Amino acid sequence: MSVALVAPSVAIAAFVVIGGIGMSFVQSVGLLPLVGEPRFSFDAYLANSDELLLGLGLSLAIATASTAFSCVIGLTAAVVITQGRTTGRIVAALSALTIPVPHLIGAATIGLLLSDAGVLPRLFGFAGTDWPDFVGGAWWVAVVLEYTWKESAFVALVVASVLASRVARYDETAALLGASRARRLRHVVIPLATPAVIVSAIIIFVYTFGSYEVAWLLGRPYPEPLPVLAFRLFDSISLTSRPEAAAVAVVTTAVSLLVVAGGMALLRRTPLWR
Amino acid sequence: MVMMIPYGERVTPDDRTVSSRPLMRPRPASRTLRIVIASLLAVWFALPLVPLALWSIANRWSAPAVLPTEWGFDGVASALAAGGVPAFGRSLVLGLVVAAIATPLGAMAARALSRGAVPFPRLVSGMLLAPLALPAFVAVMGLTVVLLRARVPGLVGVVILLVAAALPYTVYTMRVAYAAHDLAYEEEARTLGASRSHVLWRVHLPLVAPGLARAAFLAFLVGWSDYVVTVLVGGGTIVTLPLLVGSFAAGVGNDAVVAVLSLSAIVPPLLLLLGLGRFGRRYPTARYFTGPTASRSPKGAP
Repeated sequence: MSVALVAPSVAIAAFVVIGGIGMSFVQSVGLLPLVGEPRFSFDAYLANSDELLLGLGLSLAIATASTAFSCVIGLTAAVVITQGRTTGRIVAALSALTIPVPHLIGAATIGLLLSDAGVLPRLFGFAGTDWPDFVGGAWWVAVVLEYTWKESAFVALVVASVLASRVARYDETAALLGASRARRLRHVVIPLATPAVIVSAIIIFVYTFGSYEVAWLLGRPYPEPLPVLAFRLFDSISLTSRPEAAAVAVVTTAVSLLVVAGGMALLRRTPLWR
Repeated sequence: MVMMIPYGERVTPDDRTVSSRPLMRPRPASRTLRIVIASLLAVWFALPLVPLALWSIANRWSAPAVLPTEWGFDGVASALAAGGVPAFGRSLVLGLVVAAIATPLGAMAARALSRGAVPFPRLVSGMLLAPLALPAFVAVMGLTVVLLRARVPGLVGVVILLVAAALPYTVYTMRVAYAAHDLAYEEEARTLGASRSHVLWRVHLPLVAPGLARAAFLAFLVGWSDYVVTVLVGGGTIVTLPLLVGSFAAGVGNDAVVAVLSLSAIVPPLLLLLGLGRFGRRYPTARYFTGPTASRSPKGAP
């Protein structure tokens, strides 16, 4: 009975996850060519090795920066939200407003805000040429800002819900025992929020590492982050490009899984984990 | 009478006690700091949505001007001409179909897992959360071959992949809901002679309805927001709202159309979110029933 209830969901998840990774791997080692005989080789990994390494570094940098900024801003917002009062309610409402915005829409509106013909340069009276290259610039500022904007709201939501259910009693007790605000933040609020922050950080890192549309819309043509590289190879007309796209996909998956494993290990070392 | 002071409310004590109790002394510096931080956060969350509001009602906005130079609805007209309405409809159907499939599946799995009768529970929960750890484009690039060879229509392929992407959210949400759910009510109804389907529709589902609504909302968002899966599997034949926004935003000089289409992509989920808040209040009975048992949930006990 219970097995029948779980089976359909597990079947779909397993088909997509195991099937997706497995078939990507099979294609990347040349066992499923569009034409010709299957032949095992790692050619697809070596064909674009420079671009692959460059893209790996770039994707890691974008994901790390976005995750770090999101966690700091989101945790701050969660603390402000948990304190209640009018300020907390305003921040809670505005961050909730951000949650249902699709990432592609977020990228479009960040583009309208930050490009050299955008709203901010107009507001501050910059001519187009004086405005820094946030969109399509060397530092990928607009991409990181879009991720940080969306994901800091996510962190705020997750952490605020954890803090709301746990922190009030401990915070009051610590206050009654004479702890200052700074000490309460350092020794009560932040330790209680840490597991939720780590879980959100894992989710954000994996998402921003493997996400295509924001980097495609707000980034520059070269160098390409891994998902953009994979997309270009996948859509390319040459016969060898499908295995090469699959190779990029396999590398992206391997890094994502490593990050999840590392994050889970970190999570188990937090004192509050079960 | 006991006076209840909600958490976070400022209590201003008598002047005579304030000087001897540093905890209660008003702190203008920290109050200013709090307001400054909250204002910065408010600007941070709200600012990116400002261009949408301005551009969607601007016909012309020449470069140095701080505000649009000519107001109007040309953007709306171009969005309609570009097929905004059918794209909106396709996104809506996609979101609803994904929600209609992923919500019951997630609820069933969560129910079985929370009753503890599933073999290899850790493996099963891990499998159901695994789509979160897999970038969407990897799943698509691996499985296109399989879907093509099995002659699965593009739309079905898109739905399968998006349901898998939505399952972690629905399963997790429903596990939280079932953790606070008391089976005794169902057993009670059964003892009183209610049939299985009667218990399901009149006792079980009403009790978990708020959780189901939250799960369905998240699953809807997955279908509604998707770009990668629709582009790769659909091959550009299924033009949803994000695809339309993407193609306009990639060009130049489409600012008004992009703003109008983007706004129309934000409004429906926002309305659903507001409705979700109201839904929780309209059925308070469910919360009263689950209230006393909520402390059994793992989250409540630190």
